[in-house]
Amino acid sequence: MSTDYAYDEEGYLWPFFVFTLTLIITVPLTFLLVKRSRDPAASFTRIQTNFKHAHVDTIDSLRKQEKRKDRKLWLIIGVATGWAIMGYMLYLIQTTEAPVHKLWNPYDILNIPESATEKQIKSTYRKLSLRLHPDKAKIDPSKNETLEDLNSRYVEISKAYQALTDEDVRNNYIQYGNPDGKQGYSINIALPKVIVSDGNGKYVVLLYSVLFGVLLPYLVGSWWYGTLRRSKEGVLMESANRMFREYKDTIDEGGVVTAASTGKEYEELFKGDKADSGLAKLESRILAEGELSPLAGGLSVKDKEKLEDLESGPQRKALALLWAYLGRVELDDADLNKAKFAVAPIAHSLNKAFNAIALAYMNTGPLLASYYASQLLIQALPPKSSPLLQLPYFTPAVVKAVEGDSRVHTSIQGFMDRPDAKRRSLVVGKKLLTEEQYRDAVGVAKQLPFLRVAKAYFKVTGERFIIPSSLVTLVVKGRFVPPGSETVPEINPTDLEDVDPAEDDLDAISGRKTTKLVGKDEKTGKPIYESVEAELIAAPLAAAPYFARDHSPRWHVFLTDSKQGRVAVPPFTFAQFDRPIFEADGKTPTFAMQTLKAQFQAPPQAGHYTFVMHVVCDSYVGFDTKMEVTLIVEEASKAAEMEVEDEISEPEEDSIAGIMNAAKGGEPKKRKQPKPKEEEEDSDEESGTDDEDDDDTSATNTDTEAED
Amino acid sequence: MFDINWRGLLLPLAYLVVLVGTFVTFSRVYRKRKAIESANLAPWFGPHLQRNIYLSLLHLEPEEGSEKAPKIPDSVIRAALLRRAVEDIRRIIQIRTAKQACSSLLQRGSVGDDLWQRFQRAEKEMEEELRDVVMEANGLLPGWGQIIFQSANEIAANKVLRDRLDEVEAQTANDKEWWEKRRASVKSGFMKELDEEESGKGQAKAGSEDEPVLVDTNTPSATPSGKKSKK
Repeated sequence: MSTDYAYDEEGYLWPFFVFTLTLIITVPLTFLLVKRSRDPAASFTRIQTNFKHAHVDTIDSLRKQEKRKDRKLWLIIGVATGWAIMGYMLYLIQTTEAPVHKLWNPYDILNIPESATEKQIKSTYRKLSLRLHPDKAKIDPSKNETLEDLNSRYVEISKAYQALTDEDVRNNYIQYGNPDGKQGYSINIALPKVIVSDGNGKYVVLLYSVLFGVLLPYLVGSWWYGTLRRSKEGVLMESANRMFREYKDTIDEGGVVTAASTGKEYEELFKGDKADSGLAKLESRILAEGELSPLAGGLSVKDKEKLEDLESGPQRKALALLWAYLGRVELDDADLNKAKFAVAPIAHSLNKAFNAIALAYMNTGPLLASYYASQLLIQALPPKSSPLLQLPYFTPAVVKAVEGDSRVHTSIQGFMDRPDAKRRSLVVGKKLLTEEQYRDAVGVAKQLPFLRVAKAYFKVTGERFIIPSSLVTLVVKGRFVPPGSETVPEINPTDLEDVDPAEDDLDAISGRKTTKLVGKDEKTGKPIYESVEAELIAAPLAAAPYFARDHSPRWHVFLTDSKQGRVAVPPFTFAQFDRPIFEADGKTPTFAMQTLKAQFQAPPQAGHYTFVMHVVCDSYVGFDTKMEVTLIVEEASKAAEMEVEDEISEPEEDSIAGIMNAAKGGEPKKRKQPKPKEEEEDSDEESGTDDEDDDDTSATNTDTEAED
Repeated sequence: MFDINWRGLLLPLAYLVVLVGTFVTFSRVYRKRKAIESANLAPWFGPHLQRNIYLSLLHLEPEEGSEKAPKIPDSVIRAALLRRAVEDIRRIIQIRTAKQACSSLLQRGSVGDDLWQRFQRAEKEMEEELRDVVMEANGLLPGWGQIIFQSANEIAANKVLRDRLDEVEAQTANDKEWWEKRRASVKSGFMKELDEEESGKGQAKAGSEDEPVLVDTNTPSATPSGKKSKK
């Protein structure tokens, strides 16, 4: 019995090995490649419009460039080589013949059928031995035989004979397939013999040391330094550090833009003489007198000073370009215009890092400034400008026609709530909009997802009261009501309720399913809910014709303490909703009630806490909601009392509790009607919505407060 | 006794030498780089102008020709020290508010390690600076060290308030001008309306249709202006 390791001399095994190995590596890479090359924005709906501004081509080329950057060349090459190697290996497997190991069969050797009797076997053996015994048989030179061949042939024959007649040998044959007993087996290693053959050893060692001594440390190192180079928000660490230094408690949107311009990304974008080319022209353009603002770039005096204090270089150019972008200043230079549109998405990603920094300080002002800056960057609007400029075809002249010399801006909602005839008379005219442009602009406005909050309240799942330090859920109910929607249905009061999922419904509790109203119980009038698989729906991509990226709008909900100006509950971000926002045609709003939930821990002391709730959309200017909500935290003892009344007060007679109760001499208590007290109340909405809207929300608010 | 095959040992020995050598070189280069990096970190705060003024007042070089340095009045030196303390207060407030944010951001990986190093260095520097100011104050006037930072704090708070006020007041001229213009336009509108009313009722209706538009533009605006005032 010997075990014997052999290398793959015939070269029929190693293709299998290589094939499997390449398969393991190539398939995930291919998956990655396919997933990447699919356009993620394709799955989102878009806001339908025919609007095309003068620089649509530039924006499109920038978008394409970004997508191309996403696709990695090494990945494509890797996948291609992987499949090529696999193909070659398959070819090798097909063509290389594996050596056939014949089974030792005594019948074949004796040349008799397997059904032969012992007599036949014996006679055949005798005949053969007469003929083929080495003493008798003659060497046939024509067949190139030697004496050894004859010997071995005869040994085989006698072995075969023995296997069929001798008991022991037969047993051996049956058990091991060989008359000699157990055979040594060989293990083949699926590596070509070339690797170990003499003289090639040094190359193998070299390859090995390059693989483990150079390539592995290089990969690990580049991964590690790569993670160190970028912050969690995906910007360069150096940029995040600089922006941290730029943070001030009194920072405004302009300040955020200035902070973003410190990003190191811009140094890479404007290398060498790119940093100064066209700077003078650029600055003269943005500092010229503007139509709506004192400066064309829309920057305030403070921002102008900040710009002029900068040394000329990448930062100054980036900042000037950002202001040109925000003020939609025409630069009359293809390169400058392209750079103008290229700086905005970078600033937007840098703003994300600034947002994290503002959040770490927990001050309301900078956090809001960061969100507002995001809106401005996406919509290409300067700070404190009219939200109406978000609509297509709306130029400063049109905005002026709408707003007159009023100092406060008309929001899109305000504009769209006016009767159609009045709107038309304001904006359609000479040097203003044409009839067609007006219709397109109104069409876009009617598709903008404006989240109108209907109600916001606090609750603890499964409890009636909020006790100190419990896990409170802030439930925000609201509908997407695009500005100018004409037939907005009344709010269904049952939609405003948030029903706890059944205790055994784990999917619903963990948020994988949502409840759906299926009908009303006829007797009690209580709504019946059924849990359905949650299908999350994203809002259409932001209508941002000047922003060179596709952006899916997000809503941030957070609570602030208005007295201290600090963030009480950090933002929860919602990009997807449980109900469809628009019908299948992508235009007609469904007015479905959306539920946004945010969980946080209640304060450790009982009392009334008044927060200001902000619902901020990061893509549209003037779509934010700000309202006061009051969190009423009850003493823990009170909740316990309620529980005693509720749960244990009705012991069944045969239960131990019932007996104990009777032993104490207590009468079975009647179930008390639970005090109909809502845990919350919300009041005056301060959002910039119209009066009508205020009316309907406050009506629902008072509804919920009413004691029934 | 033992017949050592030195030749055969050569290869493993060379391997060991290369291995150890690589590690030593790597760690040396790495440390050197780190040291240079941390030595070249930019300071958190810019140059301390007030401190420089104070120190140069204190160590005024004698003018050419004269033996003695010009005598600086005590009040000037004290004022310079107080100014220095005010700047220190501003810096210390900045450091205090930034500390928690910086450490939490560092933990989350939102800012880099070198920012934290710079921050800690600035913090230590400020500690030394405060101690120095207290000692200087006590040297100028015994017991002043205990209260110099209180007064400096008041001054700093006052300055912040004053800056805000100035900012608001700077707006007045602008606003006044706008209101004048607005009043004039509203007035002319009213006058026109009155004229039209006199001239005929039918035309008056057409004229008054513009008015509600003006009012309309203002109503929804209550919030944005409110927001602005809060900022």
